[in-house]
Amino acid sequence: MNWNLRPILVAIWRSPTGALLVALQVALALAVLVNAAGIVQQRVQKVGRPNGMDTPNQFVVAVSGFTREFDYTAMLATDLAWLRGLPGVVAASVTSAVPLLDSGSSAGIRNAPGLKAGRQANIFEMDEQGLAALGVRLVAGRAFSAEEILPPAQGNQALPQILLTRALARVLFPDGDALGRQVYDPLDRPITVTGIIEHMHGNWVDWDKLDHVAIVPRVPEGPQALYLVRTRAGERDALMRRVEEHMATSDPTRLLLWVRSMSSIERRAYLADRNLAIFLTAVTAALLLVAALGIFGLATYNVAARTRQIGTRRALGARRGDIVRHFLLESSLVTTAGATAGVALALAAGYWLSVTWQLPRPGLLHLSTGVAAVWIIGLLAAWQPARRAAAVPPAVATRTV
Amino acid sequence: MLGYYLRLAMSSLRRSPGLTALMIAAVALGIAVCVTSLTVYQGLSGNPIPWKNDLLHAVTIDNWDPQFPARERHPDQPPTQLAWRDAVALLESDIPVRSVVMFKTAGVLATGTAGARPQRALTRVTSADFFAMFDVPFRFGAGWTAAADQGPEPVIVLASAMNERLFGGANSVGRTLRWNDMEFRVVGVLDEWRPLPKFYDLNNGALQEPEEAYIPWGWGLAAELPSAGSWNCWKPEPLASFRDFVQSECVWLQVWVELADAGARQRMQSLLDTYARDQQRAGRLPRPLNNRLTPVDRWLADNDVVGSDDRVLVGLAFAFLAVCLLNTVGLLLARFQRGAVTTGVRRALGASRRQICLQHLTEAGLVCAAGAALGLALAGLLLWGLRLLYATQDGTRDGIQALAHVAPGSITTALALAVLATLVAGLYPSWRIGRSAPAACLQGRPMGFRHTGRRFVP
Amino acid sequence: MLDMQGISKIYRTDLIETHALRQFSLRVEAGDFVAVTGPSGSGKTTFMNIAGLLEDFDTGRYQLDGTDVSGLSDAVRSRLRNERIGFIFQSFNLIPELDIFDNVDVPLRYRGFSRRDRAERIASALDLVGLRSRMHHLPAQLSGGQQQRAAIARALAGDPGLLLADEPTGNVDSLMARQIMDLLEEINEMGTTIVLVTHDLELARRARRNVHIVDGQVSDFWSLEPPAPGLHAGLVPAMMAPA
Repeated sequence: MNWNLRPILVAIWRSPTGALLVALQVALALAVLVNAAGIVQQRVQKVGRPNGMDTPNQFVVAVSGFTREFDYTAMLATDLAWLRGLPGVVAASVTSAVPLLDSGSSAGIRNAPGLKAGRQANIFEMDEQGLAALGVRLVAGRAFSAEEILPPAQGNQALPQILLTRALARVLFPDGDALGRQVYDPLDRPITVTGIIEHMHGNWVDWDKLDHVAIVPRVPEGPQALYLVRTRAGERDALMRRVEEHMATSDPTRLLLWVRSMSSIERRAYLADRNLAIFLTAVTAALLLVAALGIFGLATYNVAARTRQIGTRRALGARRGDIVRHFLLESSLVTTAGATAGVALALAAGYWLSVTWQLPRPGLLHLSTGVAAVWIIGLLAAWQPARRAAAVPPAVATRTV
Repeated sequence: MLGYYLRLAMSSLRRSPGLTALMIAAVALGIAVCVTSLTVYQGLSGNPIPWKNDLLHAVTIDNWDPQFPARERHPDQPPTQLAWRDAVALLESDIPVRSVVMFKTAGVLATGTAGARPQRALTRVTSADFFAMFDVPFRFGAGWTAAADQGPEPVIVLASAMNERLFGGANSVGRTLRWNDMEFRVVGVLDEWRPLPKFYDLNNGALQEPEEAYIPWGWGLAAELPSAGSWNCWKPEPLASFRDFVQSECVWLQVWVELADAGARQRMQSLLDTYARDQQRAGRLPRPLNNRLTPVDRWLADNDVVGSDDRVLVGLAFAFLAVCLLNTVGLLLARFQRGAVTTGVRRALGASRRQICLQHLTEAGLVCAAGAALGLALAGLLLWGLRLLYATQDGTRDGIQALAHVAPGSITTALALAVLATLVAGLYPSWRIGRSAPAACLQGRPMGFRHTGRRFVP
Repeated sequence: MLDMQGISKIYRTDLIETHALRQFSLRVEAGDFVAVTGPSGSGKTTFMNIAGLLEDFDTGRYQLDGTDVSGLSDAVRSRLRNERIGFIFQSFNLIPELDIFDNVDVPLRYRGFSRRDRAERIASALDLVGLRSRMHHLPAQLSGGQQQRAAIARALAGDPGLLLADEPTGNVDSLMARQIMDLLEEINEMGTTIVLVTHDLELARRARRNVHIVDGQVSDFWSLEPPAPGLHAGLVPAMMAPA
């Protein structure tokens, strides 16, 4: 095989502008590709992470009392009894907040009395069917019983017991088992940990402590109420319609605000992340396409400008394969130069992005995949012009142009 | 000469429609992506009330935990909202032309008409100056007076969409309705009003819709209305009742003042500082003095209305545009090189470098102008796609959807980008072809090819 | 009209230097008709390019119409080319996408004449070469001889004092070549100075003077008759007044 690079390098050296422009495109495209891939991967992971719940079979009902005759406690009792009695409903609980719906409360939980600062935890008030309605798994301890559920109360009321997610338990008790231990509220009153939840997501998907959740046995305050309902597989949609119809008219002292499936709540929560990933992917793909067009254009121009030279080479005995190889090699040289600059640019941009906006830095895998990708794209883009060059007949050499 | 250049450019572009289409497409793609991301970015970063930027100030006082700053991301800043007693104390000052204290609460509105369903209405509980201070437009009636805040009087202002739902858009001023089962009288109906970002209360998202109803500030205490916005507490204190909450260090109120001039601003600042020092002497405000009067633009920046993702998208868009323009530079060079002999002839016939350069720059400009026009149309399509991406199944709206429309700003952006593209993509090839030696051009080797192309400048 | 003294031009590459002209001197009086001959590679084209202000030279002095051209800016050189020099090329170099009218219009455009002036000049130039009826044809629709005549019209439309012709008959048949030479003689008789570069000694003999270049230097010249006295009279003197 003839790997003589010199004539190619000389040709590029003689008119470097076109090659330089294409190399710059490749460099920019690679830098964007690598960094975008890092961000997209991060968002895809974020959107796809398990939330610990039985998402496909859950929905949430929001109601609000608004008249003077409205009786919050009575409404809860009636609604929950009706919901729990519906065939197909696995569990239903009143809850102070809905996981992944970004309105909820957090508080500092202390692992010893007298501490100034606690560990921030996302607090959910639920009743005895709370865990079943969430569909989360308890790895230690027990769920609340009906008698343990406290009535609604404003503000800081003493709590006898609390359930923690394993992630929260680990930061509160790094030394070991949290079950049965005491945590303290801001007024230094002890609360016993009576159960550990394997995994569960709280309210704010952008919070780094999303899985630091605590559940307390208390009915949330009115006059708004949220019911979390879990159904048997496949029965959610029918039940949602039934519940909506019933709740809209069953009690004139309150208003049905909305009924939403947990799937749509989850989708809504990650909408911005999902869309960023989609937009980045689309623009990066378009960018690679434009860069490929640049490579194609340069190769086409080179072939057209050197038709006579190609004919001469053919007349002097070059085979078609030699011509194809010549142009692919020339294009690869440009791509490689661009990719080299692109790697440096990608690292610099990645460093800057991570320092300024805490975005993920491209890893070695991203870099090497990116380089391989632009290289292959470069070869594909130069393939057709190279084939056309090989089709130039030797007779061109003797023709006057 | 411009007419002549334009004619030449048109005929040149018509001669190789494929290459022309490719160049226009490259420029259009780059401009479309840029216009799309910049339209959203401009919407996010825009100041919805620029004409009052220097007058309106958000008031903040640092009443937070001695050990921890209120805002993890901005440890130097006080909480974004105020506690009840601070807000009320500051409201008494007559330094501001207008001042507003407010929060939002959940309400249910009913007209009492048989068969009409009650409507859920997020309601802003605010002092009277709100409407004049933020230049809120009225369709019917007006706001209420400061006296109505004191009463409080049962008067209500409806947003236009809510008036549409309750009264079919009719002039409802004077009608009564029930708000959370209390009788209120409509005194005003707003015109369409949707400031984006919602600068006066950024707490539950900068792109939230304005509230659907407004009632006098006094109702907050009188009806013990809980905040439906965000509230934050740091101090371990009993919060057993609404009164406890009102007296606590919890922050949940937005306070704005309109200050006539720099002097007023200074007086207000010293009032804040004096007040805070008094409070410190009384054992409150354990942190160092940090009271702020923040104008609107600064307020939007302090509250991170534009997120890092939005900035990344703009950066990406410009990288994309750069690649598209590099591509166009290459294509233009090739095209100009192909016409080199003609250029050489023109040079021989007396065209100066400048004239040749201008002629080619006109051609580049034409390409970029066409690219910008197509790009703008494409951006409209992309923005439509963006709205689809942000569509939710549950009827909730995302503020991005409100921003994702071709706006006057988008058109300006497209125009500016077209000029930029012409300069970036056209200047170099035009300069190159203008600079090339006429003799070399006549032989069809205008650029590069060092064996003859090197010029010896005497 | 044209006065070159000791002109040198060297093309350099990384490896070799080519002396295209060495100490080249030539004087052409106004109204003269000079043929420059020489073998290929002798420097004919370089001489032509330098004479036409298309290229710079390294050393020497060149006066065009009394103006020393070395060190002039591109804008001034372009203006000189535009107003004082007409070019005729071997391959015509008509701009293929412009019709004959627009081709002749090119130098006039750069001169900034008014639309009416331009139209009149184009019409009379095309009259002179007998192509007025073809003014809205594209070059490709004309024969080689017609194309060259169109090119001559384009060279003359601006009323230059000096006409530089580079192998004007190289791409046309011999009958047409003779007609083109007739036309050039006619133009010369009207007062325009002509420098004709050719390798065809037959044609060269029809000029008043012959200059032979070898290896970048004048090796020989002969003169048919002494140059015609007097200033060049101009082709269409009535139009010389500024627009």
